[in-house]
Amino acid sequence: MKVTYDWLKDFVEIRLSPQALAEKLTMAGLEVTSLEYRGGEVVFEIEITANRQDLLSVAGIAREVAAITARPLKSLKHLHPRVLSSQAEQPVRVKIENKKDCPLYTAKVIKDIKVGPSPDWLRKRLERLGCRSVNNIVDITNYCLFTWGEPLHAFDLDKLKDNMLEVRRAKKNEKLATLDGLSRTLSPDILVIADSRKPIAIAGIMGGKDTEVTEETNNILLEAAVFDPIIVRHGRQALGLQTDSSYRFERGVDFETAEAASWQAVEWIRTLAKGKCVSAKKSVGLTKKKNKPIDLSASRVHRLLHIPVRASRIKSTLHRLGFTVKRGSKDKLRVLVPAFRPDVQLEIDLIEEIARIEGFQKIPQTLPRVALKPFENRVRDLISLTKNIMIGLGLNEVITYSLIDKNLLDCIGLSQEQQAIEILNPLSKEQEILRPTLLASLAQCVAFNLNQKQEYVPIFEVAQVFLNHPEGPKEEWRLGLALCGSRSFVLEEGFVKDPVDFLYFKGILGALCGKMGMAELQFMGSAIPSSLDIHAGKERIGLMMMLERKVLEKLGIKNKNVFLLELSLEKLFSLASLERRFAPLPKYPGITRDISFLLKETISLRELLDALLAQGQPLLNRIKIVDFYKGRQIPSGYKGLTISCLYRSQERTLTETEISPVHELLCSMLTDRFAAKIR
Amino acid sequence: MDIESIYSQVEAEIQRVNTPLAWEEFRTKYLGRKGIIAQLTSSISSLPPQERSGFGQQVNALKMKILSLLEAKHRVLSEESEIPQPASCDMAMPGKAQDLGVLHPVTQVVEAICKVFERMGFSVVEGPELETEYNNFTGLNIPLEHPSRDVFDTFYIKSLSADRQACPAGKQAKSQKLLLRSHTSPVQVRVMKSSKPPLAVVVPGRVYRPDAVDASHSFMFHQIEGFMVDTDIRFSDLKGVLELFAKAVFGPQIKMRFRPHFFPFTEPSAEVDISCIICQGKGCSVCGRKGWLEILGSGMIHPNVFKQVGYDPNKYSGFAFGMGVERIAMLKYNINDIRLFFENDLRFLKQF
Repeated sequence: MKVTYDWLKDFVEIRLSPQALAEKLTMAGLEVTSLEYRGGEVVFEIEITANRQDLLSVAGIAREVAAITARPLKSLKHLHPRVLSSQAEQPVRVKIENKKDCPLYTAKVIKDIKVGPSPDWLRKRLERLGCRSVNNIVDITNYCLFTWGEPLHAFDLDKLKDNMLEVRRAKKNEKLATLDGLSRTLSPDILVIADSRKPIAIAGIMGGKDTEVTEETNNILLEAAVFDPIIVRHGRQALGLQTDSSYRFERGVDFETAEAASWQAVEWIRTLAKGKCVSAKKSVGLTKKKNKPIDLSASRVHRLLHIPVRASRIKSTLHRLGFTVKRGSKDKLRVLVPAFRPDVQLEIDLIEEIARIEGFQKIPQTLPRVALKPFENRVRDLISLTKNIMIGLGLNEVITYSLIDKNLLDCIGLSQEQQAIEILNPLSKEQEILRPTLLASLAQCVAFNLNQKQEYVPIFEVAQVFLNHPEGPKEEWRLGLALCGSRSFVLEEGFVKDPVDFLYFKGILGALCGKMGMAELQFMGSAIPSSLDIHAGKERIGLMMMLERKVLEKLGIKNKNVFLLELSLEKLFSLASLERRFAPLPKYPGITRDISFLLKETISLRELLDALLAQGQPLLNRIKIVDFYKGRQIPSGYKGLTISCLYRSQERTLTETEISPVHELLCSMLTDRFAAKIR
Repeated sequence: MDIESIYSQVEAEIQRVNTPLAWEEFRTKYLGRKGIIAQLTSSISSLPPQERSGFGQQVNALKMKILSLLEAKHRVLSEESEIPQPASCDMAMPGKAQDLGVLHPVTQVVEAICKVFERMGFSVVEGPELETEYNNFTGLNIPLEHPSRDVFDTFYIKSLSADRQACPAGKQAKSQKLLLRSHTSPVQVRVMKSSKPPLAVVVPGRVYRPDAVDASHSFMFHQIEGFMVDTDIRFSDLKGVLELFAKAVFGPQIKMRFRPHFFPFTEPSAEVDISCIICQGKGCSVCGRKGWLEILGSGMIHPNVFKQVGYDPNKYSGFAFGMGVERIAMLKYNINDIRLFFENDLRFLKQF
């Protein structure tokens, strides 16, 4: 809302500089977002909150200025109607299809007007607010709109068919050429003013070209009405047409203001265009319920705001804002709310008025004293632990959109059994569905970073995914990982690049599960190609996969492998335990013996290790793989391995003679059962 | 070999001892179990009795001499070994350590803010991102026809069962249509419905609004909501708590102001500004020459919200506040484009 300093002074005496006034208004809830000089006048741009339609007018803002600066408001008294009615006149008939759409309609017939340019002062005032001057009649309606907040409209009376008006819903595909020169196609969601043939204006939004007031106009019909805010909003949205008028009707206009503004306009038209008002037709539909008086307790003001304000001061503040205050008992005030303040309904609303006008800066700062019981939030704690483990392992957290393109799932080969949850009103294809997996977004994120010439992309995300379960949608916390490229190390022999693979995931999961106090996870072949299911005990808790070539192509990734992993954190956390119990350190030293051997590639290493460990009980404590090699020295189809066996007893120091027979057994098991060649 | 020549041999050899290994060899040669001193000592018994005492003293003196030489050399060697050997280790080469990953800047800001409130006794609670229309709007005193319920301002979910026709937002009176929460405030309703005061809770999380994406808008972003309810919570408590928050996050020199505003779920409502952290309130392009930056919305919880959750508004009062995490992060780190948060360029992420 724009307003000029001099226009405000029509209503209230201001003894503050424009800058000081702007500051005061801002701190009373009328935020002045800019202050500029235009044509020698100060123009304030004020942000009006959605609940204060009364402030979309100079008069309304002036009322606030009066309250804030404790100055009296100059007369806001409305003019007395003056109708020179003549019997000879055939009154205009007004018909309202549905009084809910249009609770008030007034039509004043003004004859013998002289349409011409507006006087300088009027033109300048409008232009300073950014409103183009058209002619004296249109300018007067706009002037009243800005002064009182009531949009008025003038029709060329002689262009109305059959001397009648109807306020009704538009018919499907009805057309109207609006004042902005466009032809608009209407629908029953839109309220129009029509004559006996066709629409002549879109109610509350914009008039029609055919009935526009021009230099040739002699007689006009002046409309002042109240339209349902919702229908105006829907019409504005359907037509994509916001005007000063629709802006105000959407927020609500009250009956009294509509009436007063139209009489003011009649008076201006009489003085500036010599028009005579010959009839005033009023059609009142649903009247608003009168606001009940509100009881306000001065002690409650103090209790909530923590500032002492005397009842008498409350009374005068509310009075300046247009409320009628009756003193009840010592503490209680009975307050009548004016029609232009439908936002005030409860005692708390009145307390806000006091706080606003006194100034929030007067309220001290205190700290509450509250006996609180903390809420447990295990999931959050474990998520935080998980994220910290991930960054400790060198992974970087990303945050990607929860809404994705449906095709992206297919592209990655992750179309789910259940259909994903769809968005009713996405702005673009990239917002079609709520993602049921993090993997698609992570793959995209890898592709993006490869485009930025990253050699190594280690990323993770923790977020909710959305599952379309038959019993209703479900959200689930997931951990997603993506790895691509090679990690570089500096070793004695120089720079070494190690391309990532599934063992990286195994290492990451090992660290995570270790910290979570969980048993080792198992990895098994999966139904999805190039992927492994991740199991904790019997339960499948996730999946890791290597993207296939055709997927990489679709993502625009060349010459790189991308590894993805997703875990259900819900399932992981249900198995997690952060409880720890100390296990006594070994009392006696152990003995380690290494075995180097060649093993056929086809033989399961897992099985071999399990068998050896079982065989070596109870003295064999642990087997570790300490070396692994393939290459020129190794016959093809074989791999070279060195394992280290640790023998230890809880009761005594073991001797060579004790462990030798056990170790021999392991060696013969290797050669006999697993066909290994010991080196 | 006579003792005198051993003396000169020792003096000469110790000069050549330059490494810990040579030192140890030297020590073993003379003082070891089968070393020269041990041999000399064991030869005493073969001497005539009158020479034994004199020879014994000589051997002892020699041993003391060797010990002192060894000790002196040890000191020299240990000092030397502390000096890095530039030839063997080029410190310009990359260090050998696992690179640390980074938490996303949004996570870092969320954690920092939650920590401030947790220190004041608030608990962190989260809620679902798919919400009912009731929790997102009605429970928060947002009327049925409020513009924020429009499909222009909230993402709705296509009705999941096929028989229910998807219809424009806000038209069904009592539907339990699902939507993507447009703010974290529905968690207020959830917590208040399931717990009794006193309550002090902060709620971080993702929120969604169908805004066209540009440098300052994103259709997904993060909010932190906070609220406190008890029998005697005052507006002054809101001011005190938020003052502590702002100073902890933006620094102790920050000034704050509360401007009256309007939100359906609070009354009175206030927007909170801090003095511009770029220009310290003098006026710059970041604050639009105003000297103030808006950082959050707040107010006293509306009695109608209490009624919705079954609290007696005459008995309880409370405050609530909400802020956009990306906005705070942009101000704190001087980031000029919100899209950077969701592009996840590693060169961006690694700066935090």
